[in-house]
Amino acid sequence: MEDRLKELQRQKKLQAWLVAAAIAAFTVWSSVETGFSFSELFKGGSEIFRFIFFDFLPPDFSKVKNLIGPALDTIYISFVAMIVGAFMSMVLAFFAATTTAPSKMIQVVVRAFSSVMRNIPTLIWAILLVFAYGLGTTVGCIALIITSIGTLTRAYAEILEEIDMGQVEAIRATGASYSQVLGQAVMPQFMPGFIGWSLYKLELNIRASTIIGMVGGGGLGYAIQKGIKLFQYQEVSLAIIMVILIVLMTEWTTSKVRERII
Amino acid sequence: MSTNWSETAGKLSNLKQQQDHDEFPRKPRMDSVLLAASLFGIAFFIYCVIRLDFDYYGIYRGTLTFIGSFANMFPPNVSDWKGILSAGLVTLQVAVVGTVLAVVAAFILSFLAAENVSPRTAKAVKGFASFLRAVPTLVWALIFIVAVGLGPFPGILAICVHATGMLIKVFSQSIEEVDEGALEAMRATGAGWLQIMAHGVLPNVFTSFMAWSVFRLEIDIGESVILGAVGAGGIGWEISNAMRAYEFNTVGFVAFVIFLMVFSVELLTNRLKTKIRRRG
Repeated sequence: MEDRLKELQRQKKLQAWLVAAAIAAFTVWSSVETGFSFSELFKGGSEIFRFIFFDFLPPDFSKVKNLIGPALDTIYISFVAMIVGAFMSMVLAFFAATTTAPSKMIQVVVRAFSSVMRNIPTLIWAILLVFAYGLGTTVGCIALIITSIGTLTRAYAEILEEIDMGQVEAIRATGASYSQVLGQAVMPQFMPGFIGWSLYKLELNIRASTIIGMVGGGGLGYAIQKGIKLFQYQEVSLAIIMVILIVLMTEWTTSKVRERII
Repeated sequence: MSTNWSETAGKLSNLKQQQDHDEFPRKPRMDSVLLAASLFGIAFFIYCVIRLDFDYYGIYRGTLTFIGSFANMFPPNVSDWKGILSAGLVTLQVAVVGTVLAVVAAFILSFLAAENVSPRTAKAVKGFASFLRAVPTLVWALIFIVAVGLGPFPGILAICVHATGMLIKVFSQSIEEVDEGALEAMRATGAGWLQIMAHGVLPNVFTSFMAWSVFRLEIDIGESVILGAVGAGGIGWEISNAMRAYEFNTVGFVAFVIFLMVFSVELLTNRLKTKIRRRG
């Protein structure tokens, strides 16, 4: 018995070492293939350092006026995309959750649909959409709506699947109507997860929308891309500072709202 | 698929526990602050829509064009499959190297960032991490591209820097959750700082470190795909090139490869996550 246990332990240890070795081997192979090495890093390091501290700083604050508009656009499109995406996903989640889907077929189709939307990154969607909608905030907003639907449909469907049916049964047993069951048993269980996930997606949207401009989606990303092309690095650093501010502000706000709900 | 995806997102875990503890569901009451927040949300939404000033007819026409171009994507042009697949491989390699470096860096720094084991350095390291995290990966990539030139190298650096920022945060949070009693007991035996870390903290946090690293790798593969679009090599470069040349059938194929890559990574990491959780 003891021997068997020791044998198993040894096997497990060996397995762990093998996995670690495989990861290490793959990493080394990848870094050779991509031309990454520490000597390269040191060579590039001084250049990066010089670039950040001498070309980038100090930020050119006189350009704040030009950047306020794009910064607000960034916030607008993320928020609109989150709300629109949340409402569409709420409907779709009903068809995607095992517990509420009317038929297996519809469930599979909706899940596949949301998986395509989710697994192609926002920026790639923007690249695909720019052709059809032209440059501007519209593209950014639609790309964000698409990925929001992808993420939130799945998240909401999972919340719906985890709902405690006992509570639903109990309310139903009191003779409550369908809308009462929804309002008293389903909604209270659905709400916290719903708000939590929507806020999380809002954070992701804000992060994505600050860069979506680089491929023509409007907002701060466009200003950053343009500044780099024109060698206006001090304007770029100001735009980056605004990106940081927006991201931190959103994180702070969403965490406050989240605390309030919990 | 995944049973507890929400848990990994890390935002909802507390909330779920809270629910489990409440044996008697309280009567839902309307919190005035929440009411105000939701009213504000609605008003802000309307304001945003007005400010964005969508051209609805344009959207309608654009949608038709998009569907039309979608039809052009079929049948996908697979003639350059070798080039595109090797670009996909570069994308994977960039993500893996960047993430592994970030895990190593964050592993070391997170011990200095945890309030309970190194109170003196925690504030500074955490602030540094949140700075790294707040700048999007793509912006880091642009900065590095200007400094060291095009190619996968700036992509690796960008992923590494951003991932380090996030991993320091989540790693140090795991360390902060370690039971104070265990640390106290070790301190009482006269163990040094390194000994406490190696025997008291590390065994407790190892599984959550692994789970977070896997989760981060999943994110980084997505990031690595889009890095190509600004010139950091890989498959994103292929799609923006094909789009620029209006070769929709090539775009269709590249988009399909991207979908397959991200989708299979999602499946794989879900598998791994459940495995790690079961063990932990």
